[in-house]
Amino acid sequence: MTKTRNAARASGVIATVSIAALLVSGCTRDSSSGGPGADDSASSPGITDDSISIGISSPLSGPTAGPGSCTIAGLDSYIEAKNAAGGFEFGDGKTRQVDFTYLDDVYDPAKAVSNFRQLINDGIFAYVGALGTPTNAAVMPIAEEEEVPQVLLTTGARTFSSDQDAHPWTTGFVPTYATEGRAFGELLAKEGKPVTVATLAQNDDFGQSYLDGFNEAIEGSQVEVVADATYEPTDTTLDAQVTELASSKADVLLSAVSVTPLQVGVLTKAQSLGWLPRIFLPSNTSTPGTILQPGGAAAYPAVYTPSFSKNPNSPAFANDEDVKAYNDAFQKYGSKIATTYTPHCAWSYAEGAVLDEAFQGMEEPTRESFMDSMKSISGFQAPLLLDGITVDTTTKDDAAISTVQLVQYDGQAGFKPVAG
Amino acid sequence: MSYFIQVVVDGLSNGAIYAAIALAIVLVYRATGLINFAQGGMAVTATFVAYALTQAGVPVLLALVAAVVLGFALGALLERGVMRHFEGGDPDTAVVATIALLVVLSGLSAFFFGYEPHPFPSLFPNRTIGVLGVFVSLRSIGTITVLIVVMVALQLLFRSTKLGLAMRAVADNPQSSALSGLPVSRLLMIGWGLAAALGAIAGVLVAPQLFISPGMLDFVLVYALASAILGGLDSPVGAVVAAAFIGVVENLAGAYLDFIGDDLKIAVPFIAVIVILVVRPQGLFGRKVTVRV
Amino acid sequence: MATTPTSTARAASTSRSGSTSRWRGIAFVGVLAVALVVAPLVSSPYVNYQLSSIAVFAVAILGLNIVMGYTGQVSLGQSAFLGLGAYIAAYGILHGWPGPLTLLLCAVVPAVVGMLVALAAARLRGLALAMITLALPIVGVPLARRFDDFTGGSQGQVVSWLRAPESTGLANDQWRYYVVVLIAVVAFVLARNLVRGRIGRSFAIVKENEAVALSMGVSPYRTKVLAFTIASLLGGVSGFMYLAIVQYTSPETLVFATSINLVAAMVIGGSASIIGTALGAVYYVLVPVLAGQVNSSRTALISGAVLLAVLFLLPAGLVSLPRRLARLRSSTRRPHPSAPPTTSDEATHRASAPSATTDQHS
Repeated sequence: MTKTRNAARASGVIATVSIAALLVSGCTRDSSSGGPGADDSASSPGITDDSISIGISSPLSGPTAGPGSCTIAGLDSYIEAKNAAGGFEFGDGKTRQVDFTYLDDVYDPAKAVSNFRQLINDGIFAYVGALGTPTNAAVMPIAEEEEVPQVLLTTGARTFSSDQDAHPWTTGFVPTYATEGRAFGELLAKEGKPVTVATLAQNDDFGQSYLDGFNEAIEGSQVEVVADATYEPTDTTLDAQVTELASSKADVLLSAVSVTPLQVGVLTKAQSLGWLPRIFLPSNTSTPGTILQPGGAAAYPAVYTPSFSKNPNSPAFANDEDVKAYNDAFQKYGSKIATTYTPHCAWSYAEGAVLDEAFQGMEEPTRESFMDSMKSISGFQAPLLLDGITVDTTTKDDAAISTVQLVQYDGQAGFKPVAG
Repeated sequence: MSYFIQVVVDGLSNGAIYAAIALAIVLVYRATGLINFAQGGMAVTATFVAYALTQAGVPVLLALVAAVVLGFALGALLERGVMRHFEGGDPDTAVVATIALLVVLSGLSAFFFGYEPHPFPSLFPNRTIGVLGVFVSLRSIGTITVLIVVMVALQLLFRSTKLGLAMRAVADNPQSSALSGLPVSRLLMIGWGLAAALGAIAGVLVAPQLFISPGMLDFVLVYALASAILGGLDSPVGAVVAAAFIGVVENLAGAYLDFIGDDLKIAVPFIAVIVILVVRPQGLFGRKVTVRV
Repeated sequence: MATTPTSTARAASTSRSGSTSRWRGIAFVGVLAVALVVAPLVSSPYVNYQLSSIAVFAVAILGLNIVMGYTGQVSLGQSAFLGLGAYIAAYGILHGWPGPLTLLLCAVVPAVVGMLVALAAARLRGLALAMITLALPIVGVPLARRFDDFTGGSQGQVVSWLRAPESTGLANDQWRYYVVVLIAVVAFVLARNLVRGRIGRSFAIVKENEAVALSMGVSPYRTKVLAFTIASLLGGVSGFMYLAIVQYTSPETLVFATSINLVAAMVIGGSASIIGTALGAVYYVLVPVLAGQVNSSRTALISGAVLLAVLFLLPAGLVSLPRRLARLRSSTRRPHPSAPPTTSDEATHRASAPSATTDQHS
């Protein structure tokens, strides 16, 4: 049985090494942090008189890594810039530096849970800004069980915001997909004349909530959906779907597509078929440089998109103070994490400011006090948000940002307010 | 009727994308006898070279030539430096080594270019022609034309050249090829080089549609593998026909079968492939194999 | 293939090394058992989660190893059975079925599905078989989204269950650890007995040469169907365990990439080796964690490089590490070793390689 003996020895060696590795990263039971029953008078884990640690797990590799790394890069830019400027002021009168830890979950729920547990184990105070519906859905019950704040999530799924009494430790940041869809519906319904609409939606909660919001808003109006199609994010092209929708000759195309090349493909294909409807695009796939210009969007009579943040690359905002501050900070810190701009970079930067705001209202160094403060922000104009868009965390059933502005593509590198 | 034809034409353009990669799979299989997961990684890496060149102002055609040359070098280098180590060992280990190469190559691409997709300039004008209410893009026509040329070239290579015949012999049976004096290791190296060079062509053809990103071919690879296997793995013509078949069947199912819909249309060609394989294990164009006892 | 059992070799080596190795074996099992029991009591919830994950994926890889490592049939669809098991478990728990019944269904239903697929596919070999198994996760993901009444659609399903009973005095993470590790230990013991018995021998013969198998009265077709069925069964069980520790399932559970990673982990651990399977699971779970600690922006690059490095150093998997070390030691003592210990294994691979790959084009 030489082989068995050798194998046994091998596994002994490897088991020892791996357990050692685990023990280096994780510590033993007694010092494990978090958990219910933390004494209210003492401070929560992850916070001292001069520092606080927060963590995030987003996709940093794989197909969703572009937006994923942006959710980290923007937040990191805000935090590091503020740290360098002296630190964050807290409601208890102390000034603290923020330690920011980020991990890669490849959009895999099991890895997200593993990362979340690792972060708690490392003693984070709060989990902030993570991207991804399934990953955050898997983390949510553990955040509740361990009473760790899971806040300002970069996902528009309703689950994370619609019932905050049931999920007291979780809040969403960006407008829900339904909010975006509703804005489109309202614009069309307000026109007060018969309009036919074709819809193209991703076959998941993103696409479905988009349509739900849209359909709620057009109920009882003269707007009619005459054709609909769905797609899988893994599809190679959407030519077939566009061909099918084009045969309806609808006046308007609602294209709830979240994948950059596919959205460009939709814009190119529809015009190549001679179909030129007015087009609605979601906020995450309407960047002029990467989507509208390659897709030739200028050919359409109008291209609308909901917006709530300034695009730092747009010449229109080149002299904006917020944008300058963002660009400086991003150049210095965030560009090490994300190489290509997606709107998530700007959103997560704004989210850093909301976090800052919550810190300022936090009177005790506890997670409870943090959540109280986090849920009592209203009318806050975070940097990079469009004028008129404010953060309101006091509602129990919506994300921190619950309004969007519709803007219209100006045919070049930017947007203009919707005419009329 | 024009709708039906349009759906078929769209399916053919999808099929052209699958076929481009499927040809590369057939080539590497013919040359090395392996499922090569690194195929997509090599194609993407070579395409990124072309991308970097076009960003620097080099014309697409020239960038393509450079990518093909560098792709060949990359493939040959990987064979010499990595895969040779696993030849003659457990085939599973070799396949996992190609998986490792795929992960490393896309990690490297991401290191330099990030994961976000970038637009890629097309070799062909971005215009569409309409005939009797059916629209087809010049890009698709161009892609299909190049594919047919490549297909014929590969067919000639394997059927009518010494190099091609020698490569097939090596893939079929390295031991006896070595005994009969063929330079086995050099032939394998050339096979990998050619596969990567073809990958570069395929990548440059499909990148304008898919956008270039490290994961550009991850899912296409699955369709391409299905096409290559359905085509019999042995036959460039078979791979192209099978790819067209898969593209068209998928689109027709999505358009005309309501209970299938856009979400499950992917299942239709796969189930068709399974049924065909069960009935005809050697694929549509593969040669019948008799198992010698 | 580190321990491909051939009865003669086994008999010879048993008589040679005698009883000391038996005692070492027993001591090893004893130490392992104590470590498995004590570990969760002294570890943090995070470490317990990682150890439990290793148990979950060990069972999935065990199934894969039976069909690929022991029987030599490619399978790129194991994640589909993992996901199916997780969905059945979620459905059962949410509908108040008893745990043991749910576990039983998580084993039986995927086994039946796997058997049906294998009945059609087991006549094929090589790439054609790879194709069919690969189709399972590819088709499975949209199916899971479509039947959202059963699966919860793309949002997935949170299932909060398996809380530690008060009487045990254990925390939830410890309780879940014991449940999944117990299931894993049972699965491993059964699998070990299986591959060492008559069925295991028929797996090995089919892998080696189907014609020989036929001549010995072993039906390659039935053997392969059996191997696939067992692999699917174990995949389904690992899905149950997945739900026990992750408490959540969604279409992401069954994506194709997971299948590929499981295959890589199986080969890294050691093909056709029970201990290698466990080592593969340790690799599967820990390498991403360690890569994240090195640089979380470069996890893909690091994992790929590690994978390649291990393959280079240990082509027969982590399980061959001691043999490799022994060989290095002996080669430093004797500059020209006449017969390195692994040669016979490598020769076997070489001989079996053509039979596994040339079916399509020979």
